[in-house]
Amino acid sequence: MRLFRSNLRKLVRRPATYITFLLLVGLLALVLVAVVAGSQQSTDPDAALAARLFVTFPQAYELVLAMVLGIGGLLAVTYGAAIAGSEWTWGTLKSAVARGESRTGYTTLGYAAVSVFTALGLLAAFAIGVLASAAGAIVIGVSLDGMGDTAALGGLPEQLLRAALALAMNAALGFAIATIARSQLAGIGVGIGLYFAEGIASLFLPDVIRWFPFAASAAVTSGAASGSVTVGGEPVTTSSLDPNTAVVVVVAWLVASLAVSALWTERAEIGG
Amino acid sequence: MTDRFEAGTALATEGLRKRYGPRVALDGLDLRVPTGVVYGFLGPNGAGKTTTMRILTGLVHADSGRVELLGRPFGRGDRRRLFEVGSLIETPSFYPFLSGRENLRAIAATGARTADARVGELLQLVNLGERARDRVSGYSLGMKQRLGIAAALLSDPKLLLLDEPANGLDPAGIAGMRDTLRALAAAGKTVLVSSHILSEVQQLADVVGIIANGRLVREGTIAELLSHEGAVRVRVTPDEIQGAIAALDALVGPGAASSEQGPEPGWISVRFDPARSAELNRALADGGIFAARIEVGTTLESLFLSLTASQPDVGAATAPRPPEPPPSPGWSA
Repeated sequence: MRLFRSNLRKLVRRPATYITFLLLVGLLALVLVAVVAGSQQSTDPDAALAARLFVTFPQAYELVLAMVLGIGGLLAVTYGAAIAGSEWTWGTLKSAVARGESRTGYTTLGYAAVSVFTALGLLAAFAIGVLASAAGAIVIGVSLDGMGDTAALGGLPEQLLRAALALAMNAALGFAIATIARSQLAGIGVGIGLYFAEGIASLFLPDVIRWFPFAASAAVTSGAASGSVTVGGEPVTTSSLDPNTAVVVVVAWLVASLAVSALWTERAEIGG
Repeated sequence: MTDRFEAGTALATEGLRKRYGPRVALDGLDLRVPTGVVYGFLGPNGAGKTTTMRILTGLVHADSGRVELLGRPFGRGDRRRLFEVGSLIETPSFYPFLSGRENLRAIAATGARTADARVGELLQLVNLGERARDRVSGYSLGMKQRLGIAAALLSDPKLLLLDEPANGLDPAGIAGMRDTLRALAAAGKTVLVSSHILSEVQQLADVVGIIANGRLVREGTIAELLSHEGAVRVRVTPDEIQGAIAALDALVGPGAASSEQGPEPGWISVRFDPARSAELNRALADGGIFAARIEVGTTLESLFLSLTASQPDVGAATAPRPPEPPPSPGWSA
């Protein structure tokens, strides 16, 4: 427990934690501002209607969550890679191992702290996104009556849990990549590369790519059941997994990523 | 069990071998560090010092050979043995965004359980109390080194392994470190220090081991090593060095005399009984060379250079193997 608490304390003080969160919120706000501005300037009635639906509750809950998941997936990979990679880059893993700390324990508890922060980031970003949507609705003149929809609100905890699981898996993937690369920068770079490569590949091999980590994590919530993954933040139609299958696939990727991180750390010869 | 692992030994290795691909880092290292001493671990770059340190702290694993820490075998799966070992391997490693105090607390959360109060004590000990709240990213190299020594002492270890601990320290810092390490040894703890600063080791260490090409070439107390070498140092003018070496070789035997590479030119080391040093003087005079100075005995530096300077870096597959060293005084064969 003392190591887990120590990891939480480190992440609280870590600039990467705040930079990642601010990026997520900033990109989310940018999308919503673009939607609102577009709806007011567009002469196309269909585009204006689409923009209005974007900020119309209770559907806006699902849309905000899908956006957080889409942008957050990429950021969670980079965050996980930054945390795991820095242990190698800064040599702090070396210090822990030389003190007799378990390599597997150190890796998994480090990841556990990261997953706590990705879940907190998800909740905070979702709350900010909902408030921003509500503000957008007021600007456009859409009613906020749907915000109190009991069915939508009742389903939110489960949807948020699913999203938290997906982001935790994305962070674990970043963890594994950086552990294999033994480098913070390489881990982040490869993580971003994989994110975009998977998005592009989904255009050509949708039935295969839907089993891949980013596509599966984008499909865990019911809002994504209609089928979309993101390419650079832009939704692309594809044949998504159904949400429950996606959860199973996400868990499998999470376990595999953690196993790779632990095994790699356990077997590594640590220098530097 | 061989004698190398006898009682009163804090650290011992036997036949330790390690390769990195084609490069041989350790080639059968036999080491014995008695309990309660400061042990100076010397060797040129690439001799295998840091690889040895890494093996002793579980960072890498030996291809073969045995290690014993504090009286018990140490290998894969024995990580808890390191709870009683403190170490500073290569450069000190910290989170740059945390303060010195927070870094020590983060390190204390790993390995052996450490009391919170220990962090404050150690920050005072290494004279970082006033900068304890500052981020480590703003620390100088010497301050990081002092924090690294504090980190190594966190669990009040019985055995301390320090790799070049004087790196970046100012004279006051070096003196402080020396006092601390001497005090630890006086309290019955064992300190193994690898260093390139031979004068520092000469002041600090009770016992010295010299490693070259992944093998131990000498081990013993400094006094024993220097007297055992039986060297005489002769100083001539630089243009007389070759003639002097020829004259001395003719007296003592080929290869007995060698020019030193120190800052003062003209010094020649001769492996010869110091009691017969007058014979050296006569041989030089017969050759028309007059020594400016003759000193009996040797320095740790000249001994180090004579043992290691002619040997290429570890890893040269075709490198000639160093001659088998004679058993050093105090060595339990």
